[in-house]
Amino acid sequence: MLVVNFAVEGAHNCVEVDGVPYVYARTAKGSFVMPALCPHRGGPLNLAEVDATGGRAVCPWHERATSITRLRRKGIPAVRRGNTVTAVLPVPADSEVTTTHRPMSPAFCGGRAA
Amino acid sequence: MSFTPHHTPFELDPAQLRELALDFASNPIYLDNKEWENEDNPYHRQLRPQIIKYLDFSKPLPAGEILDYSALAANRLLATIYEADLMFLPKKGMTDSTWAGFKNFYSSTNRARGEMIRPYLEKHVFGFLDDIEVSGDWTKESLAAYLGRIQGQATEPSASEKAIRESSDPKRAARNWLIQFAPDFLSEASPMIRNVMGYYGPVQSEWFKIVIDEYGYGVHGTKHSTLFENTLASVGLSADLHRYWQYYLTSSLMMSNYFHYLGKNHELFFRYLGALYYTETTLVDFCRRAADLLTDVFGDDADVKYFTEHVHIDVHHGRMALEKLIMPIVDQCGESVIPEIVRGFEEFQAIAQIADDDFAEQVRWMDAGPRNKVLHAPVWAKIESGEVEAPVAHIVEPRGELSNTHQHDGDELCHIVSGTMRFVSGYDSHQILEAGEGTVIWRNRLHGAIIDSEECVYEIHSVGDYRACLS
Ligand code: FES
Ligand SMILES: [Fe+2]
Repeated sequence: MLVVNFAVEGAHNCVEVDGVPYVYARTAKGSFVMPALCPHRGGPLNLAEVDATGGRAVCPWHERATSITRLRRKGIPAVRRGNTVTAVLPVPADSEVTTTHRPMSPAFCGGRAA
Repeated sequence: MSFTPHHTPFELDPAQLRELALDFASNPIYLDNKEWENEDNPYHRQLRPQIIKYLDFSKPLPAGEILDYSALAANRLLATIYEADLMFLPKKGMTDSTWAGFKNFYSSTNRARGEMIRPYLEKHVFGFLDDIEVSGDWTKESLAAYLGRIQGQATEPSASEKAIRESSDPKRAARNWLIQFAPDFLSEASPMIRNVMGYYGPVQSEWFKIVIDEYGYGVHGTKHSTLFENTLASVGLSADLHRYWQYYLTSSLMMSNYFHYLGKNHELFFRYLGALYYTETTLVDFCRRAADLLTDVFGDDADVKYFTEHVHIDVHHGRMALEKLIMPIVDQCGESVIPEIVRGFEEFQAIAQIADDDFAEQVRWMDAGPRNKVLHAPVWAKIESGEVEAPVAHIVEPRGELSNTHQHDGDELCHIVSGTMRFVSGYDSHQILEAGEGTVIWRNRLHGAIIDSEECVYEIHSVGDYRACLS
């Protein structure tokens, strides 16, 4: 397993490991780390919208929906403190890591009420 | 016969909370001191009840206000409330004053009043930590990877250590630094012992072993608090409990209160484990550097055994916390407790960071005393000319009047109209201010004052940001 740090917002809000980008999404129903690539055809999940119920993230390419509760509870183990995320990724500890920037959809820049 | 159960949460409205806090703090043992230090009286703590009516403890302070006066007041109250569970005796026998203090401090009135306000004070000063979010599916493996990362990691000298080395008066800075540890180190392991009570399985016994180390295996000379007393004495400080109460910074009290908060509220038991792991693991490096720093500053006179002992024992405690406490508790309780452990680990890092920055800034504040005195003139000129208008308090005080230490939520200008004030910005740190002189007072910086003339007439101008007055 590989422990990585990256930013919630700003220039370094995406960590890329073995070609897979990960971002931190903040929604009204809680926040989570997720791969920014849709498992269907690789659509940009960082730009996903949240459906009207607020419960599902919808890929902008072919509208595949994923439960936010599932992403939050069953997703990548992570903790956010301030603008920093620490995540434990299911890849070998010596995997190559780079940080980049990915734009986030407005639905993922929310965050719960403090 | 019918009985309708009516179980409601305990709540106070802001007015009730303020009244109860005022009541608690009005105990004679908590009133202002006429001296800077508390001499051999562990029950005396200055809580400044006269200010409490202006404070609102009913809401959590946001992160940006965590060093405001309200936080200092709440942390002073909390330290006092938590410590009513601890046993303290004067060192030189009971006097009339300490007998009275003893009875007052451990009285049911003091305890009951403290318990009523404690939950609100805790939310007030620790509520900002709710910003930390733990998510995802944590397993033992991911927890081990996450915690394991700091093991053996060399840490950088902290901002406080750098501030001491760069200070214009490193000895003064280092003494103030040691003073900040006193609330924690003199009753070291007391918060932890709260977790050793009860009945919860093998981890309880493992935790007890850590306590045995802290207590020097029952040999008083090797108890960690004894080692720390020796350190204090070797650099000319005294080990009376809370002798230096007035010099504790907000964040120093917050650090020591944090572990009492976790230990007193057993619903936070798992967070304690995470916080404990962080502190035990990082302490090894910290103590090594602290021993070097004190030796560099004071020469070989400094007794640094407290710190070198921790370098030895905490190597084990970090490992023990992980292998004997954390992992077994996850085995016993299940992986659903992991997010709380992670949260505690992050929380204590956040607090340690705040404390480090707070102390470093206090060193700069003490060092800036002469410069802040010089800066009085240009700021005063702007006020006199009417270019700057700020709320002002006119104050007249007699000789010996001691303004017990406090801090303000914005910058202020102190201007002496007549008489002499000794303006105190930390332990062994002061400026003499005569008529026509004064000083800039930085936001959130601990200070106090004493009148050195028959009478002193002075003004406090709440300028907000003194730099803005100079542009
Ligand atoms: S790529 Fe996401 S739904 Fe097709
Ligand atoms: Fe003041």
